[in-house]
Amino acid sequence: MNNNQNHINQSRPHDSAIKHVSGLAEYTDDIKEPPGTLFGAIGWSKKSKAIIKKINLEEVKKSEGVLAVVNYLDIPGRNDVGPVFDGDPIFSKEKVEFFGQPLFAVAAKSTELARKAVLKAKVKYKNLKPIVTIEDALKKNNLLFNVKKISRGNASKAISKSKNLLKGNFTTGSQEHFYLEGQVAFTIPKEDNELLVYSSTQHPSEVQQIISKMLNQKSNSITVLVRRIGGGFGGKETNFMTASICALLSYKTKCPVKLKLDRDDDIILTGKRHEFKSIYEVGFNDDGVIEGLKVKLASKCGMSPDLSHAINERALLHIDNAYYLKNLEVENYLCKTNTSTSTAFRGFGGNQGMMAIENVIDNISRYLKKDPFEVRKLNFYQKNKKNITHYGMKIEDNVIDKIFERLLKKSNYKKRYDQIRKYNLKSKFKKKGIAITPVKFGISFTTIHLNQAGALVHIYTDGSIHLNHGGIEMGQGTHTKIAQLVAHSFGLPYEKVQISSTNTSKVPNTSASAASSTTDLNGAAALNAVLKIKKNLEKFIKSKYKIFDKKDPIYKDGHILFGNRSFKFDKIVNEAYFNRVSLSSSGFYSTPKIKFDKKKFTGRPFYYFCYGAAVSEVTIDTLTGENILNRVDIVHDAGNAINPSLELGQIEGGFIQGQGWLTMEEVKWKANGEITTFSPSTYKIPAASDIPKEFNVEIFKEGSNKENVVNKSKTTGEPPLMLAMSVFFAIKDAVASVVNYKKIPILDAPATPENILMSIKEIKNRKMNGFYGE
Amino acid sequence: MSSNKIEFVFQNKVHQILNPDPNETVLNFVRSNLKKTGTKEGCAEGGCGACTIVLGELKNNKILYKSINSCITFVPVLNGKQLILIENLTSENGKLHSVQNAMVDYHGSQCGFCTPGFVMSMFAMFKNNKSINNEIINDSLSGNLCRCTGYRPIIDAAKSLNNLSRYDHFDKDKFIILRLLKKITKKNIEIASNNKKYFAPKTIKELKKILNKVKDAKLLSGGTDLSLEVTKKRKELEKIIYLGSIEELNFIKKYKNEIEIGASTTLINFEKQIKKYYLDFYNILKRYGSVQIRNVCTIAGNIATASPIGDSLPLLMALDAKIIIDGKNGKKIIPINNFFIGYRKTKLKQGDFIYSVKIPILKHNIFKAYKISKRFDDDISSVCGSFNLEINKNHIKRAKIAFGGMSEVPKRAIKTEKILINSEFSEKIFDKATKNLEKDFSPIDDMRASKKYRIEVAKNLLLKCFFEIKNQKLLRIN
Repeated sequence: MNNNQNHINQSRPHDSAIKHVSGLAEYTDDIKEPPGTLFGAIGWSKKSKAIIKKINLEEVKKSEGVLAVVNYLDIPGRNDVGPVFDGDPIFSKEKVEFFGQPLFAVAAKSTELARKAVLKAKVKYKNLKPIVTIEDALKKNNLLFNVKKISRGNASKAISKSKNLLKGNFTTGSQEHFYLEGQVAFTIPKEDNELLVYSSTQHPSEVQQIISKMLNQKSNSITVLVRRIGGGFGGKETNFMTASICALLSYKTKCPVKLKLDRDDDIILTGKRHEFKSIYEVGFNDDGVIEGLKVKLASKCGMSPDLSHAINERALLHIDNAYYLKNLEVENYLCKTNTSTSTAFRGFGGNQGMMAIENVIDNISRYLKKDPFEVRKLNFYQKNKKNITHYGMKIEDNVIDKIFERLLKKSNYKKRYDQIRKYNLKSKFKKKGIAITPVKFGISFTTIHLNQAGALVHIYTDGSIHLNHGGIEMGQGTHTKIAQLVAHSFGLPYEKVQISSTNTSKVPNTSASAASSTTDLNGAAALNAVLKIKKNLEKFIKSKYKIFDKKDPIYKDGHILFGNRSFKFDKIVNEAYFNRVSLSSSGFYSTPKIKFDKKKFTGRPFYYFCYGAAVSEVTIDTLTGENILNRVDIVHDAGNAINPSLELGQIEGGFIQGQGWLTMEEVKWKANGEITTFSPSTYKIPAASDIPKEFNVEIFKEGSNKENVVNKSKTTGEPPLMLAMSVFFAIKDAVASVVNYKKIPILDAPATPENILMSIKEIKNRKMNGFYGE
Repeated sequence: MSSNKIEFVFQNKVHQILNPDPNETVLNFVRSNLKKTGTKEGCAEGGCGACTIVLGELKNNKILYKSINSCITFVPVLNGKQLILIENLTSENGKLHSVQNAMVDYHGSQCGFCTPGFVMSMFAMFKNNKSINNEIINDSLSGNLCRCTGYRPIIDAAKSLNNLSRYDHFDKDKFIILRLLKKITKKNIEIASNNKKYFAPKTIKELKKILNKVKDAKLLSGGTDLSLEVTKKRKELEKIIYLGSIEELNFIKKYKNEIEIGASTTLINFEKQIKKYYLDFYNILKRYGSVQIRNVCTIAGNIATASPIGDSLPLLMALDAKIIIDGKNGKKIIPINNFFIGYRKTKLKQGDFIYSVKIPILKHNIFKAYKISKRFDDDISSVCGSFNLEINKNHIKRAKIAFGGMSEVPKRAIKTEKILINSEFSEKIFDKATKNLEKDFSPIDDMRASKKYRIEVAKNLLLKCFFEIKNQKLLRIN
């Protein structure tokens, strides 16, 4: 047992680490099925845009082991899983809008039999012409919402007055979540139409609501339980179709049903990251200071709204990254395409907005033949002036300068920048590149009401603690960190706190574990519950033992200390029980200070900002486009970290995920809307040998949250993903070396070997000097 | 006599299954029948490693530990082996194995779903290597994907194993296991289950008998391609003949001017031998697939599958390898350059099987091969180029060039070769030769690469080959 009860600022393994390595950590598919459990599979559309003329399921029904087949006619209530807006039918009725759209489902005696059965459907389609690309959607004005325009100052005027002008466009690609545990649910019907739902989801309360609406039942009849999920990354924030269809199969058969998507179906049926295209025009002075910027920002949203509205909003809120943009105008186009609905993915649009501005800054630097480091620094938000964002929020916690300074020293950037230029002069085929990029990322759900959380804490008469809260454990270690906070607050050994499954019947109306805010919100709610119980205990002790001291007691080493009086925790808790004192409490938290007018696009959408920066160095092979990451240095602000090892894990893991997004991960669709990259053989995420050869990650030593967040920590959920922007711009730097930095490379993300080689070919053959025009 | 039951060692006991379903995967079996759910399904195609288990195999009175993908291995293949699952790593008293401890200590798990697979890959690495370096780690982990950690802590955990005692409870129980493995009778296996048949003959003679008797059977080696018919296409393989039990097909023989590799030699064994003769052959095989894949897949399997992107094929073609076919009419030799006749079509006839492959050892030639893919490890080629040149005093005497990924079959670049043969070894000639590649090939656009890129990179590989020879220096970044 660990006798150190100072559990915060303490590295300790993930609460499930021993179970993970022993194969004993239970995921939804591992839950033992009661006898009579059936197994599901989904039958889906093979066309991306079509009218269903006829659907014949006779062969499916007759298929071996099949006990039930359901389609839209079997849904008693709402046939939609859209979380905010309608548009995501559980089963299509007449039309299909993407390749992979569910049409029906079966329950059979085994998963294998169910999967075989769904292939036997005979569907007649009337094909319509799909819209698959952003360009096509823009051309046909196929948008989900009206064009959103935000502005500050007068960008057009500023640009026309600027000495220098650049125009261009830039795309960042989609990305598949590739959580290792695919979408899966297990539903068990109970008495009184109650339904117990185990679901691999980041959002149990929404699963509960969607199922209750689908079944026309009250929410109180549906209970959703989640012990842990095998990765989420946003891919399980919505995507409620698996749990809903599973529940419908249980409703129809009155049997427990398990439904898991195999990897191919998972990738084909569920949403991915939004591809974004930015078409920009920027005016700047000879130093590189941006004077005016106009951007047309278009995203590929897929066939329905899902969370695209909020994702695009976050893109608009991060189009500044760490830079002060005096005159800015952005038009935002949410393109509707016949592809699976694009959805939440770590970064949530913020990263795409940030890549757009980083690309602009990079091009400005290359145009002016300056080190991009200098131009970035020059455009940074400042302390006392130039500190208001384009949405009117004053930045009060800016540490990007300090982080850059520390990173500059640590990475030896300047010297290596020069060395690389010398190396490239001598090396004919292998070229090196280096880049430094900053991250400023806003923390809070931009939909203000979501910034709330609940918790439930019990002390049992033996002094052991039961902890429950609304957060989902998806690998980030939120359960570990919140247990550390609770143990610390009670002055108890960590082992005294029992972590339990997230459960909609224990903590209701929770928000998704998303927006990097799970521990911030749920940790604070848990501490609120602890505080309430402590008050009961203290009141009891004070009256029983006649303590009149006004000072707060100290909880330490399993004791409660009132001045020189000491009470053993276990004993006093038991005593409190016999004196009829409540030892259980719910807790609640809502984030203060934030408010945001979505229409006017002004306010304070974020409680605080996370900062970080990275330097990456790459080598590219100019004959093949292959590339390797030689070295990465990172300084990242985790505030006053609750568990530095877990934060380090988030920083490194986020970085590699970002590296994948910007280098090798490529989602491809055919012109007819069929996705062609739906398995690990065609969709490549980084493997062990792809990580930087030298990887130096430092948690910012001066980090502390100015705001009153638990332990003065800062989240490390999403922000580290954006540290990988440095990899992309290092590759671009290496490409530029091919023409001795005289021209600006045209390179879109992901920088795959193919895109790199084609970029090299283009830049070599390009006649024009300097910038590229329209 | 043949047996209709399979036997394997599990938890220090011999387990028997009578007529198991030959299409059931080991993954489904351990999760559904053995009720051990630590082994996970991540992709059902051997591409993510979440399902990694380890098989103990008896060899020269020793146990060899092989990590494999249980999601693409059929149950009968377990016959005669020791099955080791993640749950078996923990000792009976609950003590974690060194490998497990290292993963905990170095924070190697986050969501934990990929973790059992990583632990099993590391366990096999730990058992098979006396000391562990970065190359061994990268290779051992190349078939395991993690989406949370970014791998650094896992790699650190693997590195830390060097300092630990090797002795574990598998060493402690070694003699029990050896005894049990030896006890499992080495019979031919013949299974009939749900209208499906499975044969695992022990000898070539027996194999020929079965081939005579059973028509339209699928020959199964590593199964890394064939099993996808079941796990992805949901088809049934009604008749399977497994070649992995035939010891006569598992050999590597060295002659003066050639090396002969038996059909069921695994790539992991083959790569170690070929390294002595053609370093680039070894380099490509390392990137052919993960350890889990290379532990089971065979050179003959790669040839018979005839995939346009089978990585060993262009190499064998450039080296002018010969395929020895056996069957009812006895052995015959077919040059590999005449073997492929169309998309996934070969000259292999019903009832025939590949006996071996003979690769010439060319002492005066320069052999180079390059694989281009989106990811270095465990990826399928966009383009794989192979160059075999004989150059004498700046004069190209012979040139054999073959590419994968450039056509519906792996193919020689005959027109390009013609430019080079009997020409001066110069940049000018190579430049000229690159232009001919477009006459040799018209590749396609697919999810891996565009036609344009394939042509471009193929040309550049030819140039890379030239500059590497000219400068006597490798121009590679990895």
